[in-house]
Amino acid sequence: MFEQYNSYPGTWDEMCQEQQIRSQYNKVFEDMSDIPAEILQQRDLQAGELFMNQGITFTVYNDDAGIERIFPFDIIPRILTAAEWDHIEKGIKQRLKALNAFLKDIYSSQQILKDGIIPTDLIATCPHYTREVFGIRVPHDIYVHISGIDLIRSNDGTFYILEDNLRTPSGVSYMLANREVTKRIFPGMLTNSRVRMVSNYPLILHTILSSLAPQQISNPTVVLLTPGVYNSAYFEHTFLARQMGIDLVEGRDLLVDNHKVYMKTTAGLQQVHVIYRRIDDEYLDPLAFRADSALGVPGLMSAYRKGNVAIVNAVGNGVADDKAVYAFVPDMIKYYLNETVILPNVPTYGLENPDQRKYVFENLEKLVIKRTNQSGGYGMVMGNKASEKELKDVKRAVKKAPREFIAQPIITLSTVPCFIDGTLQPRHVDLRPYALCGPDGIHIVPGGLTRVALREGSLVVNSSQGGGSKDTWVVDLPPSP
Amino acid sequence: MGGGFAPIPLKGSTSNQTNLARYVKQKQIMLSRIADSLFWLNRYIERADSLLRVVRTNYILSFDAVDPSDFHWKDILGMFTILDEETILSNGENTATALNYLIADVKNVNAVKVLFVRARENARGVQDNITKEVWEQVNHLYHLINQPEIEKKLTDSRAIEILDRLTKNSVLFYGVTETTMPRGQGWNFMNLGKFIERTILTIEIANAHFKKIDYQLSNPQDILHWRNLLLSLSGYELYLKSYTGGNHNMNVIDQVIMKKNFPRSVFYCLERIKKYLDDIIDETKIEGGDGLQKMFGRLHSKIKFADAGNLDNSDLQNFLISTRQELAEFSKQFSRIYFSYS
Repeated sequence: MFEQYNSYPGTWDEMCQEQQIRSQYNKVFEDMSDIPAEILQQRDLQAGELFMNQGITFTVYNDDAGIERIFPFDIIPRILTAAEWDHIEKGIKQRLKALNAFLKDIYSSQQILKDGIIPTDLIATCPHYTREVFGIRVPHDIYVHISGIDLIRSNDGTFYILEDNLRTPSGVSYMLANREVTKRIFPGMLTNSRVRMVSNYPLILHTILSSLAPQQISNPTVVLLTPGVYNSAYFEHTFLARQMGIDLVEGRDLLVDNHKVYMKTTAGLQQVHVIYRRIDDEYLDPLAFRADSALGVPGLMSAYRKGNVAIVNAVGNGVADDKAVYAFVPDMIKYYLNETVILPNVPTYGLENPDQRKYVFENLEKLVIKRTNQSGGYGMVMGNKASEKELKDVKRAVKKAPREFIAQPIITLSTVPCFIDGTLQPRHVDLRPYALCGPDGIHIVPGGLTRVALREGSLVVNSSQGGGSKDTWVVDLPPSP
Repeated sequence: MGGGFAPIPLKGSTSNQTNLARYVKQKQIMLSRIADSLFWLNRYIERADSLLRVVRTNYILSFDAVDPSDFHWKDILGMFTILDEETILSNGENTATALNYLIADVKNVNAVKVLFVRARENARGVQDNITKEVWEQVNHLYHLINQPEIEKKLTDSRAIEILDRLTKNSVLFYGVTETTMPRGQGWNFMNLGKFIERTILTIEIANAHFKKIDYQLSNPQDILHWRNLLLSLSGYELYLKSYTGGNHNMNVIDQVIMKKNFPRSVFYCLERIKKYLDDIIDETKIEGGDGLQKMFGRLHSKIKFADAGNLDNSDLQNFLISTRQELAEFSKQFSRIYFSYS
């Protein structure tokens, strides 16, 4: 079966190069070639059952009724070499350092605006720029504790940064669950290939969360704040709370008294020092943000401002992962770190600039137009796939509010073999490594989540749009003989 | 060759001194919302379990009834539903309608279906505080009651099979809880919920049967009259072994209210409540704990030192109703102290 695998011409395939197997896939290729297709099919079913029985599901909202579904898992791993990983790791660390410096700057002295590196207008019009947190000092000056930066790989093998997720990135539980399932269905293959471990992620996260407690409290109370059982990522919230041994709380479990946060327990009120929140900024505190939020905690921002509670990720990070601000991250790297960019951006056209807009409108078929404030694969128009009407509509929308859009060239994502209908077929993937930033530096567990567009030829990997995922390996190749 | 075991650490061994500090015993803390959910998870399951026993018993006994009115559904409908008197009377003899209303009709707030859905909602929000096995069993109950065509099956010969499976699986819930849940605060709240609910139901079910004889304790009744009650409480065999003669009416009161070793007697349940209440108060040291203990102590002693022989006809009804009221009042006060989070 593996012999019959054909990658798409003109596309970077992670396993094959001109019909040759890349060295990092050698072991897996050997191990798997011995397994007949029927057995693989059985393993595939077994994997699906493992996910279902553990309740690893997410909720899709459709016609007001939430349906619980498993996130499709493809059994063939995506493999990166140690050298590729080294490059990615360096690039992400560099980027996060710059983004952190930017957040500190933009909510205090705003030097980067005064020096004219980023246009002030761009920040002023950013809906996620949060005046309420201006001047607030956060522990160890860390704003982005947890990030999920998306990378893609173009047809020449170059990795590009596609987007920065610096608010409440999700999916890390799938990364961990995928590895556990691989251990069950292909025992032995992981050691044969010398795959680096990912399972210590919750431990690192817990250490970082504990280290953020104010005033050196020796045994701080750390909680995970969830919107509740109806949230699509609720499984991940329970999973992480369990793995870290911390309380999973809802907004109604917390209250603020005299600028301190407490949780209501059976032994009375207990002070909370660190909140890993999986609630968006605007719902955090009805007194500071959306008054109609029932998910948040009234007064939370006052406790945050006083430094009595740490909130993870910091409030206001949305200004740094805005898709229009994204275009300026390479400039931030130069400005704050005086370094050259390790992982490049995808070229991005800001549509407020008349020349760039003109170019974009003339070359729509080669470009993708994205809304700056949407994610999950929504609000995206692919110039080569869209109908005449869609193109006309998007042009009109751009003219009306150019700040809300960007354009990027359509990049053909790299492919990985997937086990589909009993055969191996190429499918496009991206990569989301999860980086954790604590007082002792940045930790990235090797690999991350590989999302795969399961529809043939599709370039959209989001779970809400027919995407699935793969276990992602970083392998240490044995020294060449 | 050495085995695969790490050396067993000895008490007082010095090698791990630095780690010992991490094992300092801490005051047990649990979110009020979690405690509340665990308490109600068990109350709902206990209610469903008791209801299923009552329904199943009545259903089976109704087959060999000479006089169908002996196994009329109206008492059970009166106990577990909020239907008005008229509807109850007009549906009291229709087994299929009654079964559906009691088991699968979501318009009935105490239908088994509603109870299991609520139990699952509570379990879902506390998934990180119950074991995987408990969660899976609650999930299973939920899927069982939501099986296709359950309404239709309840009207034909498959009804008994459904009742059997539901009963068996609610018992499995207790088994799985017993064998997997850690004996911490969560366990105590779960059990407290279970035994408060069970006490209330034992009183309710007994009361319905005494009401049938108009609380006339001095009129001797045949054992056949009490069989339904005793089977519904899974205490028939124990009764046969324990009492060899005398007035059945008084014996039944003794078993259902005072008997020490009958797991559904009021006295047994109160003993359990006392244990879990003491454990919870001891662990949480919450303000108001004293008052709760005193309040419960009064109720507990009332049953403990009651003398069945002294109960005459009019007393029994008062006794049952006031006991239930005091327990409900205690439960309310307990919830106010431990669960007020929203």
